[in-house]
Order: sequence, then C-alpha cells, then structure tokens
Amino acid sequence: MAKYYTRSGDGRRIEMSKEEILADIQAGTADAADIGTIPALNDDQIEHLVDIITCQDRVVGVAPGKEVVMTYDIGQLDFTGDNGNSGNGVDMGRLEAALLHERALGADTFELAHSDYSVKPVKPIISMEKQTMEEIQDVIIAPYFYGAMPNMGLYYAPDGPYPNPADLMREFKIDESMAASENAAEHLARDIEYVGTHIQAAGSDGFNFDTTGSAGDADFVGTLRGVKALRKACPDAYINVGAAGESVMGIHGMIDFEGTICAGLYPHQQAKVVAEAGANVFGAVCNTNTSKSLAWNLARSVTFIKAAVEQSPIPVHVDMGMGVGGIPMKETPPVDAVSRCNKAMVEIAKVDGV
Amino acid sequence: MAFEAESKALYDAMVAVKLPGIIDAVNKADAAGMAPTAIIDAMSAGMTEVGVLFQKGRLFLPHVLSAAAGMNKAMEILGPKLAAAGGSNEKIGTAVMGTVEGDVHDIGKSICSTMLQCAGFEVHDLGRDVPTQKFIDEIKAGCNFCGMSALMTTTMTVMKTIIDITKEQGLRDKVTMMVGGAPITQVYCDKIGADVYGETANETTEKAKKIALDA
Repeated sequence: MAKYYTRSGDGRRIEMSKEEILADIQAGTADAADIGTIPALNDDQIEHLVDIITCQDRVVGVAPGKEVVMTYDIGQLDFTGDNGNSGNGVDMGRLEAALLHERALGADTFELAHSDYSVKPVKPIISMEKQTMEEIQDVIIAPYFYGAMPNMGLYYAPDGPYPNPADLMREFKIDESMAASENAAEHLARDIEYVGTHIQAAGSDGFNFDTTGSAGDADFVGTLRGVKALRKACPDAYINVGAAGESVMGIHGMIDFEGTICAGLYPHQQAKVVAEAGANVFGAVCNTNTSKSLAWNLARSVTFIKAAVEQSPIPVHVDMGMGVGGIPMKETPPVDAVSRCNKAMVEIAKVDGV
Repeated sequence: MAFEAESKALYDAMVAVKLPGIIDAVNKADAAGMAPTAIIDAMSAGMTEVGVLFQKGRLFLPHVLSAAAGMNKAMEILGPKLAAAGGSNEKIGTAVMGTVEGDVHDIGKSICSTMLQCAGFEVHDLGRDVPTQKFIDEIKAGCNFCGMSALMTTTMTVMKTIIDITKEQGLRDKVTMMVGGAPITQVYCDKIGADVYGETANETTEKAKKIALDA
C-alpha cells in the first residue's frame, strides 16, 4: 500500500496511506460538525482535501487569480522575536520590518506593534507610538494598522487592579470572580478606546486586535465593547478582530455582548458578534490537536472556518500559524503543511484572506 | 416511578446551573415528601451531566461551580433530615476524609462526608489538597475508615501512595480504604489495593456502613 509523506499535529514527519488519510479527514470533519453543530464537509470537499494532502509536491499553492489578501499580525516581532516567540531572532527597527513585509514578503497589510504587544502597556507610551506611526505612514504604501492583544490577564493581580477570577473560583467565590471579570472588561474597553482613538489620530489606517478572548469570555466581551466605542469615535477606522481560539473560554460564564452570552461561541457564532461590534474583518481561529494528524486537524479546521465564512456578515481572514488553522504546533511550522493548509482554506473554506 | 416530576426538575435545575433554581427544586422536592437520598441521587445525575457538558466545552468552570454550590446548599438543607432518617446517634466508625494532595476538587468528597456522618460515622473531613501524611496521622490516631477523593488522573496515583504507606507502617489491617472521584473505577480500586469504591456518595456510604456493621 502506497504511503504518503505528511505531518502529525506536533510537526513530526509521518507516513500514512491514502485510506488512513481519508479516515482521519472524515473523523476530523465529523468532530468539528459535532462540537460546533455545523455541517461536515461533503464528499467532493473531502476528496479535494485528500488530493491536497497526498500531493507529492513539497509546496502547494492556489491557481493564479485565486490568491487572497494576506494580513500579518505581531508587527516586527516575527523578525525580532527569538525562536521561542515565533520569531527569527533578526534585530531590526519597526520601519525596516514594515517595509520588508510590504516590499519583500507580499503583505497586503501590516501593523505597528509594541514589544509587549498588549493594549495596556501602550497607554503610558502612546505619544511615542503615535510619532512612530506617523513616521512610517510617510513611507509605507500598504494599509498600516496598529496591532495589540487585548490581553485582559494584565488587569488581574498581581499585574493589575482586580483580583484573579481563577483564584476566587478556587475559593468558591463565584460572584466575586464574576465581578472581577466584569470590572476588568470595562477597564479594557476604556483602554481600547483610549489607545485606539489616539493612534487613529496619528494616521493609522486601523487597528488589529490580536488574540481576542485569550483571558476568557470577559476579555472577548471587553474587546467588543472597546471596538464598539472605537467604531463610534473613528467611523473610518479599519478594525480587524482576531480570535484567541476556536471557542471562547467561559471564565465568567454569563457575560454578554449586546445580549449574546459569549462563553462557548465557535467561529461561526463569534463572527456575528464581532460584526455587530463594528469590526471590518474577523480573524477566525481553529486550534491544532498535536496528537492528531495533519489530515484530521486540517479537515476539522476547514469545517469550522467554512461555517464561519458562510455565516459571517463581514470578511473572514483565517488565522494561519503555528498551532492554528490545521498547521502543526511547531515553532517553525513546516512549509509543506503550511502551504497545504492555506490552499485548503482558500479553495474549500473560501476564506477572504489569511 | 415515584417523584418523577421532582426528579426531572432537580436534574434540569442542576443542568441549568442557576443556584436559586437548584434551591427551589430541592425545597419543592422536599416539600413533596421525596426522600433526601433520592433528592441527592437526582441531583447527582444532574451533576454528572454538568460534568459531561463541561467536558464537551458546552459549560465552563463557573457553571460547574454554580452547580456544585447548589449541591452544597442542598446538603445544608437536607443534612438534618438525613441525620433524622438515620435514626441513630451511635457511632459506627470513624472516618478520615479528604481530597488527595495536589487536587482541589472536593464536591463529591464533601457530599460523601455528610452522608457518612448521617449514617452514623464520626467524620474527620480534612478538606482538599490534603498532605499525604495527614491521612496517615489520622489513621494512627484511630480512624478505621479512610476516604480518599481525586478528580484528576494526575492526582489519583496519590491514593496508591497512601495505601502503600499504611502497608509499610503496619496500619493497613486497621483501616478500610475507600476511594472515589471522577477518574476512579472499581478496576483502579482493585489495582491499588483499596477496599471500597463508590460510584456515588450514596453507594460509598452504603458499602462503608455494611463493613462497619458486619465488623
């Protein structure tokens, strides 16, 4: 029986037969369909996925004319960060990084980011960020945003003013835990409006909220409330909200955005509330299971993202990187897996961008 | 089935994870004359479903805690009635109860403690994340039943450690070792050399009571 070179979710090289790949694809799409209560891939889509995974070329791509928008997050950090920070350890300034992404890496948009890459630490240095934004806007052509994670964990003790909900839950103080989450969410929304409106005033084309909901449902809701305020203050800002995971973690459990309880929302549901908040683009995420194969993970991711694309009122740019979008969880994701996942997202999930 | 509507209401209230709703269902079932043990069994079934939904990502930790708070509240309401139903003030055994070191999940263990107490045991509930030595100290001090709880596969191995220490120190024959918790099974109980495994607090209590009365 012929074996095909492929990957496991942790990036290891493995070999699988076509039948094994097919079985994993069927199991992966069934898992997403079950968890998300969404349609599984049909026979044609599964066959297409088998073809993509069993293709013997090391790198695959889409047909000319089928390319999609490519948006980068994390700013210059993908160069300057070390390997543990998903970077390359190449030191450079933020201007050079922006121009390299625009002129050498084919980025359709790029962003300015602070090394802490979180909303809260930007507040005290906002005037310096504004100056850099203005300087880079003078020379860059591609839409240039400001990027940061909402990162609401920074608002909890010991880093912030509110007690840690996880600690309170351990003590069975459920009401106090929920109150801490709610207070932090309000604080985060205020900071987003402050940082967002200031950076827009310096000429930013928009704001990319990266890893929204990383501290749970209150982080997700706080960000959406901040986005709503930012949209009101800056009607022309191009706002991208990227998710932290395929499901919004319920640390609060009951907190809502405009009446929608956000704990447990999957990408197709997240897209709707993100649009309601006033974002222009939703960055959908599906997490990789490191114990499963590329075939299983990709089928599962494509199923989730396809549902999000079909139901989203706004364009969906799928998050494609280490440990998301079917791509193995590896500090330098293998290009064979990365290109296959991207091709599947464009051709089967029909994403608007990556 | 007797009290079918009350059982369903208790189950549904647990799965809805709203504390006022759980308390209301308990009070209504109690007022209707449903036995306290039957109320606890119906709630336990609901709690199991909460665990399944948590596992599937449909419910989250605050929801599980709300349901657990409902269980605890129910035990406060039903405790005196359980004791009265037990009908005996005579101590049939002394049990040390605790969630093993490294594990902070103590809902099931606390329910079991209450039920053992109601069944006539003197219970020394050490709480959660209990250092191994404390179990040994209590056995040395005279406890003839030792109940160990764990919710995680990473912590359930501590149960074996405690049993092994009782063997090393010549205490094993003086104590009935009881194990329970979500990952624990009869097979695991047998494997580590424990005496009693209970799927529910009720089952553990019944088994412990039988051993105590047969002794």
